[in-house]
Amino acid sequence: MKETKYIVDTTLRDGEQSPGIALRMEDKVKIAKMLDEIGVYEIEAGVPCVSQKESDSIQEIINNTKKSKISVWSRMNTADVKQSILCKPHILHIGTPVSYIQIYSKLKKNKAWVQKNVLDCVEIAKNNGIDVTVGLEDASRSDIGFILSLIKDLKKAGVDIIRIADTVGILTPSRTKEIIETIKAYSDIEIEMHIHNDLGMAVANSLVGAKAGASYIDCTLFGIGERTGNCNFYDFVHASESIYQFAMNKKQIRRIEDECYPLLKGAL
Amino acid sequence: MIRIIDNTLTGFDGNLPSKEELQRFCKLLFTIGVDAVELSMAAYEKLEKLPEEGNYILQIDYVDDMRKYPGFYRYTCRFEQNMEHMIHEVQINDAREIVRLRALQHCKEIRIIGLDDLMSGTYEKSMHEIKKLLPNSRINLCPENTFHCASALAVQWLLQCGSDVTTSFAGLKNNAATEEIIMALRLAVRHKPNRDLTIFPDLTRLFEAISGSRISNKKPVIGRDIFKVEAGIHADGILKNPATYEAYAPSCVGGRSELVIGKHSGTKAIKLKLGELQLNIPTEETVMKLLEAVKDICTEYRSSLKDDEFARLAAEVIAHERN
Repeated sequence: MKETKYIVDTTLRDGEQSPGIALRMEDKVKIAKMLDEIGVYEIEAGVPCVSQKESDSIQEIINNTKKSKISVWSRMNTADVKQSILCKPHILHIGTPVSYIQIYSKLKKNKAWVQKNVLDCVEIAKNNGIDVTVGLEDASRSDIGFILSLIKDLKKAGVDIIRIADTVGILTPSRTKEIIETIKAYSDIEIEMHIHNDLGMAVANSLVGAKAGASYIDCTLFGIGERTGNCNFYDFVHASESIYQFAMNKKQIRRIEDECYPLLKGAL
Repeated sequence: MIRIIDNTLTGFDGNLPSKEELQRFCKLLFTIGVDAVELSMAAYEKLEKLPEEGNYILQIDYVDDMRKYPGFYRYTCRFEQNMEHMIHEVQINDAREIVRLRALQHCKEIRIIGLDDLMSGTYEKSMHEIKKLLPNSRINLCPENTFHCASALAVQWLLQCGSDVTTSFAGLKNNAATEEIIMALRLAVRHKPNRDLTIFPDLTRLFEAISGSRISNKKPVIGRDIFKVEAGIHADGILKNPATYEAYAPSCVGGRSELVIGKHSGTKAIKLKLGELQLNIPTEETVMKLLEAVKDICTEYRSSLKDDEFARLAAEVIAHERN
């Protein structure tokens, strides 16, 4: 019996951030319904804070899907979190910068600030009865000690899944394995892989992450996404179906790609 | 010592470019850090003679061809095994076939082609097993890309087990992509950090002309659109410090960051683009109105805006606000 792994599709969030496309509400609902039908575990539906229209689209997606969990992405900011949970998603995903370049250079803050802010955000969502996953942004360039300490706090705060984001796409298979195995050795938290394809290794690193213990794999249709894109949904299932069980098969993914090509071709 | 062999020029026999284009393609491959360029016999005949600089390998069918075409750094052949300057090629399609390599222990140099599915198996163990089975051979790995893991396998081999790989530009022939291996090694172990990678756009154009194909806009390292950024949070981050959202400076591969205005843009991106287009930046209120108009239009047309489209829209919104 093959172990089951779960697909988190982020075509409607990270994928849509790719320059060249802009989806309408009906497009997003159409794509989400198809992903729902084939058994995608979680659909990252968008970023509510982008606009009221985006929030409305997410609401429509929630109303038109049956099986998939619908998640929304929020910055690690209490105001954004409060706005995001108005959509009543099944999961709120909080993007949390963890590399020193993001914390000290971009945000001009420190680790204590990150630690406090993310826990405040988690608390707000939890108090509203919404599940939370936390995305450790730029985890591939981060201090593993800080990651482990953050995971400990998050676990205590009731977070069961963290997303390891290779935000700039620089992981190699051995480095991926090392990070995931280290986290698994120190914590029983569940891991979601979010890999970018800057070095052409998104499929391989997602697969190595799954083998090292990640249960959830972030993918997009056609592999669309920022810069060189994310892990390609079809290619990932193709590469790993010999060792893992998925809710869907390649033929079903290909059918969705055929249907969605006119909407997404601007990002290819 | 790492050796990267690029065999792109064994893949164009039906559509060979001019002698000058072939020479230039080889020169550019050496510029980016390729250690040896492999040619088909047809490509060599088109070149007429070998350029003075660089190591060249000839792909041959029979040992007689070595005598016919002397002077190469190495020869590759599927049928001949243990000759001086010969890299014997063997196809291993499945990790379970690795044991067959035991029969080739006498080969001085060997190229293993295939192993597409290694990443889903115990790839580290398999790589060590290969080394163990061929203790005295120089082993060149040429992973195939059926499962989109070839570049990862080639890099993994170079970083942990071997020193020798075969790749091709843009992953032609279902191989690992030369440019991905070069960049991954530069980032991971600072391999050949002084090589000039700014010629990637030239090399890409030449490859497209030779192959008659178009490289995907999103192709890692060489795609035309890989440094375009639209999402507000990322545009802001790149503005503050490009290293925040880019693994390497676009300029090092002959590219540049490009801000695209679209549905995911924020006010900072709008102001930045207005400045870039040398347009006046209006009041905060007008910028917000402009941002709303951008989001509406992009959603209506399901696309981002080109710079001239944005400039026209900005002029309309600003004029409307003044009235």
